[in-house]
Amino acid sequence: MMPAVLVVVLALVVPLLVSAATAVRDPELRAALPRTAALLRAWDGHGLPEEATFAALAGELRAAEAEQALGALSRRLNFERSGMRGLLLRAARAELVAPYSMALPALDPRWGAPATWALLRRAALGVTPLYLLRAVDLDIAADGAVVMQPAEEAVFGRLFLRSLVIALQVTLLALLVAYPAAYAIARLSPGWARLATVLVLVPFWVSILVRTTAWFILLQREGPLNAALLALGVTDHPLQLIFTRFAVLVAMVHVLLPFAILPMVGVMKRIDPRLARAAASLGATRWQHFRRVYLPLSLPGVGAGGLIVFMLAIGFYITPALVGGNTDQMVSAFIADYTTTTLNWGMAGALALLLLAMTAAVVALALLLVPRLRPRGIGAPP
Amino acid sequence: MTMRRLLHAALAVAAVSTGMATAVPAQARDLMVVGFGGGFQDNARKHLFQGYAKAAGVAVQDDVYNGEMARIAAQVKAHDVTWDVVMVEAPELVRGCEDGTFEKLDWTVINRAKFVPGGTITCGAGAVGWGVSLFYDQKRIAHGPTTYAELWDTAKFPGKRSFRFTPKTTLEIALMADGVPFHDVYKILATKAGQDRAFAALDRIKGDIVWWRSGAQPLQFVASGEVAYAVGFTGRTARAASEGAAYPLLWQTLLYSFDFWAVVKGSPNTAEAMKLIQYMTEPAPLLALAQDWAVSPATKAVADDPAVRARNPGMVSNHVEDGLSIDTEFWVEHGDDLEKRFAAWAAR
Repeated sequence: MMPAVLVVVLALVVPLLVSAATAVRDPELRAALPRTAALLRAWDGHGLPEEATFAALAGELRAAEAEQALGALSRRLNFERSGMRGLLLRAARAELVAPYSMALPALDPRWGAPATWALLRRAALGVTPLYLLRAVDLDIAADGAVVMQPAEEAVFGRLFLRSLVIALQVTLLALLVAYPAAYAIARLSPGWARLATVLVLVPFWVSILVRTTAWFILLQREGPLNAALLALGVTDHPLQLIFTRFAVLVAMVHVLLPFAILPMVGVMKRIDPRLARAAASLGATRWQHFRRVYLPLSLPGVGAGGLIVFMLAIGFYITPALVGGNTDQMVSAFIADYTTTTLNWGMAGALALLLLAMTAAVVALALLLVPRLRPRGIGAPP
Repeated sequence: MTMRRLLHAALAVAAVSTGMATAVPAQARDLMVVGFGGGFQDNARKHLFQGYAKAAGVAVQDDVYNGEMARIAAQVKAHDVTWDVVMVEAPELVRGCEDGTFEKLDWTVINRAKFVPGGTITCGAGAVGWGVSLFYDQKRIAHGPTTYAELWDTAKFPGKRSFRFTPKTTLEIALMADGVPFHDVYKILATKAGQDRAFAALDRIKGDIVWWRSGAQPLQFVASGEVAYAVGFTGRTARAASEGAAYPLLWQTLLYSFDFWAVVKGSPNTAEAMKLIQYMTEPAPLLALAQDWAVSPATKAVADDPAVRARNPGMVSNHVEDGLSIDTEFWVEHGDDLEKRFAAWAAR
């Protein structure tokens, strides 16, 4: 019991809390300019702060620049408002003399603008809603109000919707392909069933990257599928198969198929074969038996397989990145990009949190619906 | 403090679960150099990395990355630095220097006078010049586009086009395709209207764009016929051409810059790393390297050597007159904003 709790805490609760915290934490200004941050927090936020705050900022900027400690802060502030990076660096490198409340605005008029100082004060608070707002295409305006992002930068609403649609498409397709396969495996004799299960599992052990690359080769312009279609006369020019939604769905369904088949086989094997004879003896046709006895009894397996496929599919990004086009990229691609290239862990945390919330909402909805689909009166599977 | 510890714990868990952690204690490991791979690194391994290993009597290993700064920043943040010397593109180096991701170089160990003008900054010593240019397979397409304006003519030149998935170079190319001359590119790209113009130009061919992320991809795409035209690293294109591929090097489509050697902040091998950089930028090993690979070093004595230049027509520094110099300062200033807009644009 204890080790299980420990695994859950270490592998699930801790990372979850960390990414949730990363989405709202705002430590950069406090870390780089601690005295300025304290003065800004004490300030009432109206108009411009006192000379002491200007002086603290000028002194600490200079010291931080010399210690190579300004990068995280300038990136954080530039993320909120373009041009902040240059503003900070010029102030850090300038030869300034007191009074700094005159010298800084003389260097750049933005230092005399209340909006600049309001922004710094917000960044000194230690927590920020900025990342979560940006993750839903909102922004904080100069006066602190929450506004919509300009159309050219609003992207995440579309991405979340697209991720949801792709995940649902993949889930539906995977279930449609997996159901007959699982049905067949469940009815095989034990020896053949074992062999079939191994065949389902073998691709499962091959790296997802390898399987996706294999699809790339199969689907490319001069690949075997196009060659076959041309030879059969189905088409007179190579079809664009790769870099399309079609390729994404095919590759993702293939990668995720074992997750759909295995839970279904487990449930179907436990359906008593005598029920078929019982149904027949009561005058049911094969279709009626399937429709009113077998299908309802196998639904828990369909539900379990569907949920697993959906949850895995919604987090995909390698497969869409390799075989999809520009309009097939999913939210996870942005999480990966913010984590590894642009170093914006706040945005990565916020997007991850929202993706998790969206997944949890869909799963909760499905769990609410599935019990109603469960058979009544025939008895639940053992 | 608790937060910090929590973060470290999570990073450790993440590292273990993804198999990224190196269990070897830092001081017990070899000197680690990380670059962008490809033919340059294969030859640098022989002449620069192992050359130094032999000369200094220390073991040197090398690895490959795609310029993901987060992989370096994560090591610095977790105080578990497993890379010592890395090859970095200029704007990332400048930003990483301000960040404290890279050490300030020790110019008492590295001779700063041997570099070409602009060949060093506080945290970096110039390694090699690199460039990207347009190429295509002449076995498939006898006469392809020769300029970016022609590359945008999808009626005359149908097929997919592949560019690196980054605003840097892609936006410059879009403006040049739209008729902006080389010397005006950054002046125009610095304005909102100019950025709108670049994205509008990209919009016109968006349906035909295939992005690449690692340097080997554009060659694979063109070789398999998946894309008709690609903008790829000149060094790799030249190597493929020398191995029999019919790829023309269109120098008038060149965009070039320098890569730098930098030392990761907090490396346990800082002193050794400085000595390695001094060795790798010396004329002798670079001249030996130039025998095998058309390298364009930032070391003056080699870059200006007429014999080296004559023998290596593929040297980027032979073609700087034809191409556009990627403006480091511009990308340091505008990189964050343009990356954000580019990512949003690309996902639509």
